[in-house]
Formats: sequence, structure tokens, C-alpha cells
Amino acid sequence: MSGQTATSPSTTPRRFDPLARKDDLDAFRAEVRAWLEAVVPADWHARMTGATEADYVAFQRWWFAEMGKVGLATPHWPRDWGGADIGIRHQVIIFEEIARAQAPNPDMFVISLYHLPATLFGNGSKAQRDRYLTGVQERGEVWCQGFSEPGSGSDLASLRTRAERKGDVYVINGQKVWSSYGAFADYCLLLARTDPTAPKKQAGISYFILDMKTPGVTVRPIRQATGQAEFCEIFLDNVEIPVSDLIGEENGGWAIAQSTLSAERGLIIFELSERMARTLDADLAEAKRTGADWLKDDEARRAFTRAYSDMVALRLMIRTLMQEIETDPHMGSTSMPTYIKVHFSELLRRYTEFRVKLGGLSGQLRAPIVLGGGHQTGNVMHDFLLSYAWTISGGANEILKTMIAERALGLPR
Amino acid sequence: MSDGNSDGMDLEALRDGVRAVLAEQASHEKVAAFTNAEGVRDQPLWAQAAELGWLALSASEDHGGLGLGPSELAVLYEELGRAVASLPVLGTMLVIEALARGGDAAQQAAWTPGLAAGELAGAVSMVTPADLEPSLRVSAGPDGGVVLDGVAENLLDGAAADVLLLLARDGEISRWVLVEPAVDGVAIEKVATVDRTRHLGEVRFEGVVVPAERVLGGDAGQIAQALLHHAALALASDARGGANAIFEITLDYLKTREQFGKPIGSFQALKHRCADHKIALVASGALVAEAVAKMASGDPAAGRYALAAKALATEVYARVAQDAVQLHGGIGYTWEHPCHLYLKRAKLNEQLFGGPAVYLDRVTDLLLTAA
Repeated sequence: MSGQTATSPSTTPRRFDPLARKDDLDAFRAEVRAWLEAVVPADWHARMTGATEADYVAFQRWWFAEMGKVGLATPHWPRDWGGADIGIRHQVIIFEEIARAQAPNPDMFVISLYHLPATLFGNGSKAQRDRYLTGVQERGEVWCQGFSEPGSGSDLASLRTRAERKGDVYVINGQKVWSSYGAFADYCLLLARTDPTAPKKQAGISYFILDMKTPGVTVRPIRQATGQAEFCEIFLDNVEIPVSDLIGEENGGWAIAQSTLSAERGLIIFELSERMARTLDADLAEAKRTGADWLKDDEARRAFTRAYSDMVALRLMIRTLMQEIETDPHMGSTSMPTYIKVHFSELLRRYTEFRVKLGGLSGQLRAPIVLGGGHQTGNVMHDFLLSYAWTISGGANEILKTMIAERALGLPR
Repeated sequence: MSDGNSDGMDLEALRDGVRAVLAEQASHEKVAAFTNAEGVRDQPLWAQAAELGWLALSASEDHGGLGLGPSELAVLYEELGRAVASLPVLGTMLVIEALARGGDAAQQAAWTPGLAAGELAGAVSMVTPADLEPSLRVSAGPDGGVVLDGVAENLLDGAAADVLLLLARDGEISRWVLVEPAVDGVAIEKVATVDRTRHLGEVRFEGVVVPAERVLGGDAGQIAQALLHHAALALASDARGGANAIFEITLDYLKTREQFGKPIGSFQALKHRCADHKIALVASGALVAEAVAKMASGDPAAGRYALAAKALATEVYARVAQDAVQLHGGIGYTWEHPCHLYLKRAKLNEQLFGGPAVYLDRVTDLLLTAA
């Protein structure tokens, strides 16, 4: 299946332009909804169920391009870099409507949409921003992240991939791991050690842009517990990166990496929480419609409502964060993103586990999944397994809890 | 809680004012001294609360009140919870709310000003989300009066009350009846709770006749609903304040108490528990604040939010207070340390006006209705 021919509706009644209506929130919402109704294929869940990897990638690219056509791929980016500079109320509407329409998750573009700008806005050169942000917007370039290594997970600063300056290039040798969509990526956000003798290990790390087509780059997919191979290992063998693709100062990469990681705790969870809200509502409506057994089980009902209340609390925390971001875009003072990441991931684990329990034996049968369905793949065990991605990645929850205790609560190191 | 009908007041100024008074009048030492003496109403504190207008917050301006709403009340309840103060305001506030909803002009004029001024303290039957039939019965009596028979149980702060608002069964329907024990010749028996900052009261009626004008009009079920929502927000706010306070006390202890040559707060096993508590406090606090805001704006979902907030916030309070004792070690288990005041109040809050399970069950029903 080619994404374009198989999925674009045969008749597009008109061009949609939600951003032209952004001064009127109701009109903006109506236009986003109309666009989604016209463009999201009604049968995409069915077609992505058990789809091949090639079909999935084509579909992702098609969906990202469709979002781009109406300016909704990167509306959260500042206008100076091709975004729409919209505020929190518009962002809420977009996420609510996307969740309502059960539109596909642009999973493959997560690093391109969030981590890359979080990195380049504050730290990239103008040339880097012009080249790479435009690349995402205009050419749908896919980015991956090259942070973790086999020996450096939670202790990221111990990373050993080496970068040595030789003339106009840095020569990279080492190995990266857990790079989502590395097999399809055009570029990689790469951390490597430029000064192995620095007194603090954090002080010897630099931040690079790596073109994945560079000679010496080898990508090998890793099969996960889900059976899919979204993660990749990246082997770097005398890979040359031009000096112009160093982000920030040499040996200044650690602080920039914190900006990258903060992206994981912001808007991404915002979108996921809206989808989660939609899922819980839909699950309850479905249970009501079918007279599901669990509605007669006090323990299950209470577990559901506890999860529901935690979901409502999550959305409220995110709204608080969005207001904080509007007043202070650098969010230097708040621990809210970290609270949100831990709360969201633990709730996701608990709720997907709840669904597995309700699923009984039939929930244990192998069944095809909806690719691009986020955490609602139609297979409860798959959703449950996927929840580990959120409790482990972007700083394992145990690391974040130590951070909260020390930075927010002031407990001694 | 009724909707606020004024523009509201500066909530932070109110909070600062209440907190400053309580720091003085309801310090842990004073709370301990008062509760050790088994008191039912701390008269100097009550008088000061009355003088400062705390009891008048929600009463209408026509009846000597300030006409404020849920947002201001929530601040008061939260600060009382922070201080684990023994100040029986909730019963009084609930009687004021019931009068505003079901009382006629004469009833409001007769009772509300005294309640708002702190001259009268109130207590109400403990309604819960579980729809239990009241065991108290009311029937027509002589000379246009009504007769009460049976037991009115679980009256929060009842032994400190001058006026009781009781839910009674009248055949197939229920009615709210005002009882003035001193006038009507009934005795309130104090029922001691493990949490000594509060207590319950119980009154037995055998053919007690009260004048018919003591019966409230309006739909008794709807009044019960409103009182339940008010109590839920009050207890959720109390829990929020108490949980934050005991958590802060615990953090201070972890930063200063040294064992093995370092502060015990440097141990990761304790850090992670504190981080979990912090996240739970932020999450439940957000839900309580939203419930208050929805009640203040008259949002149709306000009741559901209030019930969910009660279940969540009181459970979080109980969890944090429980762990506070453990994190303090031996000192936290002593009578002189405030930990047990918070722990006992947290456990009582969980059960007042119904336990978490009945709240969750009602919230589930409401979600299903909306689904």
C-alpha cells in the first residue's frame, strides 16, 4: 500500500485553513474538526492492523504531510522558525480534536517535532535551525536520538562514544542504543565524548547532528518485548561529522541534552493525556453499551474510577504546566514536567494492566495490533508492554524520583 | 456549597490571615493541650473565628454574612486542616447552607444570623453517597407540631452544637428538621473518636415534639446532595492542607535527623517515598482545586468532581500521614509529637460522610450516566 494513493480521500471538498481562524476559538475548533473528518481515513485502524513495516512507514509519512499542509504538524513552533506560535488554548483544541477523531499518532516524527526544536531553539546556530527545522517542515525529515549506550543508561554522563577533532571534522567511534525509528531516520541527535580527561564526566561531552547516510554508520533493529523492532542500535565506525554540525560549544553538550530531555516531559505527554482521556471515556461507553461484566464488579469499577480521577488530575497538571510555560518559556523553575512524566507513566502502567486483567484469557491470545495506534493498539497485552517505554525512557522513573527528592524537595544528596 | 454571589475576596490574603491566627491560636502545643483535656469547643478560638468573620463567610449578606462561596470556604477548610485545628466549623457551615437552600424567610431570619455570628454552633446528620434511610422518624404531632422518634447518630462535632439539623423519615419521604436541644429538652451524648480534634454526637428521641416551623421546606434529597458536596469539598480541602503540612514537617525531619553520620533524607529508599508522596499531593491537590473552581462557577459536573476529590485527597492524606509516622521513627510514635494528630485526623476524614469506596461507587455511577 502506498500511503498517498491508498489513503487520501477521493474527493476533498475544499482547502482547510484552521490557522486562519485562530482568533476565534470556536471557529478554529470547527475547522480542525472539519479537516480531520475530511482527511482521516475512516478505515485506517483496520488497514494498519497487522500492516507491514513498509506500509506503516508510508502511512506515517503521508499523515505527517497532511498535517503539514494545514500547518498543524508544527503549530507549536515559534513563527520565526516556520511555526504558528499558537498558545495553549489552541494547542488544547488541536490535541482534543485529534484525540476525538482518533487520528493516527505521528510516532515516527516524535523526535523531529519535539526533541529537535527543544534542542535547536535555544542552542543551535541560525544555519542549523534554518537547515534542519525547515527539513522537518518541508521534507518530513525523520530524526532519531543517539544518547544511551549499552553501558550508559540511567548514568548517561558515563557515555563512551568518542569524538575526536581532526581538521574540519569530528571522527566518531562507538555504539548507541534504544534509538527509536533509527532505521528510518535521516538524522540523529548525537552525544559523544570530546574530552575524556575532563574532571567531571559531564564536562567532556559534546552534542552533534549526525547525518545517518554518512559512511561508517550501521543501524541494526532490536526486537522488543512487544515483538516489534522500533528501537535500533547504531554502530559508529570512524564516522566523520563536519564541525558545522556541532551544536553549541565543544564540551558543552550535557546542558543542551537536558533541553532535549525536557521535551519528553512537556507537549508529548499533553497529546498523550488527551488521547488517554478519550480512551477512558470510550472504554466506559463501550462497557455501558455492551453491559460488560466488570461493571458489576465493585473492585474493577473502583479501579477504573481511581484511574479516571488520576487521568483528570494529570490533565489539570498539564494545564498548569502550559500556563507556566506561557509565562516562563524556559521553565527553569518548575518541577511540574517531572511530576507529570512519572504520574502519567505510572497511570499508563496501571490502566493498561487493568485492561489486561479485564481481558482474561482472551487478552492473552496473540492478536494483530494497530500500528500508529499509540497506546490503543486494540491488543491489551501490547498496550501494557508498551507502557514500559514511558516508565523507562527519558530518565527511568527511579532516576526522576531521586531528582524530585533532591531538586524539588531539597533532600540532601 | 452555594455559589458565591460576590466578586470574592483576595484568596491569598484570606489564607495568610487565617494561617497567622491559627499559628498563634492553634499551634500544635495548643491543639495538644485542648485535645488532651477532651474539650468539645475551644471557646477562645471559636470566639476569635467568629469575630474575624470566618463563620459568616458563606451566609448571605441579608443575614449577617459575607455572601462568599466555595473558593473562600475551601481556603478556610484547608488552613484548618493544615493546623489540625479543633474548630467545629463544618457543622455550622452546613446548617447555614441547608437554611439557604430549604429554609423560608422566617427560618433564615431566625437562625442564620446567630450561626454566622458564632453565637450558635450547628451540626447535621451525616449524609453519605450511599443513600441510607435515616433511622430518625418524624410524624405529625399535636398543636401543629411534629414528633421525633429514634436515634440521630454520627453528628459531626455534635456535642459542641446548639442547633442540630437532622434528616428524618416521614413515611415515604424525608425531611430536614431543626432541633434546639436546650429548648427541646434532649441531651446530646458525645461519642469520642480516636481523632480528638473532632468528635461525634448522638441524640435519642422518644416522642419529642418540636414546632412545625422547624421543618425545612424544599426537596430534602436535593438539600442532602448539596450538603454532601459541601462536606466532600470541606474534607478534601482539610485533607489537602493536613497532608501538605505533615509532609513538610516530615521533610524537615529527614533533612536534620542524622544516622550513620548523615541526614537520613540522603537515603534513596526514603527519597523515593517522598517523591511518590509529592506527586500524589500535586495530583490530588489539582483535583481538589478544580472541584472547588467548578463548584464556585456552578459547573454541572461540580458534584462529581467534589466526590472524586474527597475520595482521592483523603486517601492521599491517610497515606502520607501513615508514612510520616514511619519516616519519623520512634519520635513519630510518641504522644507529644504531632504526627499522630495528623494520622488520626486523616483516618477519620477518610470515613466522615462515607468512606472512599462509596464515593468511588457514586462517581462511577455518574460517569456511566454521562457515558
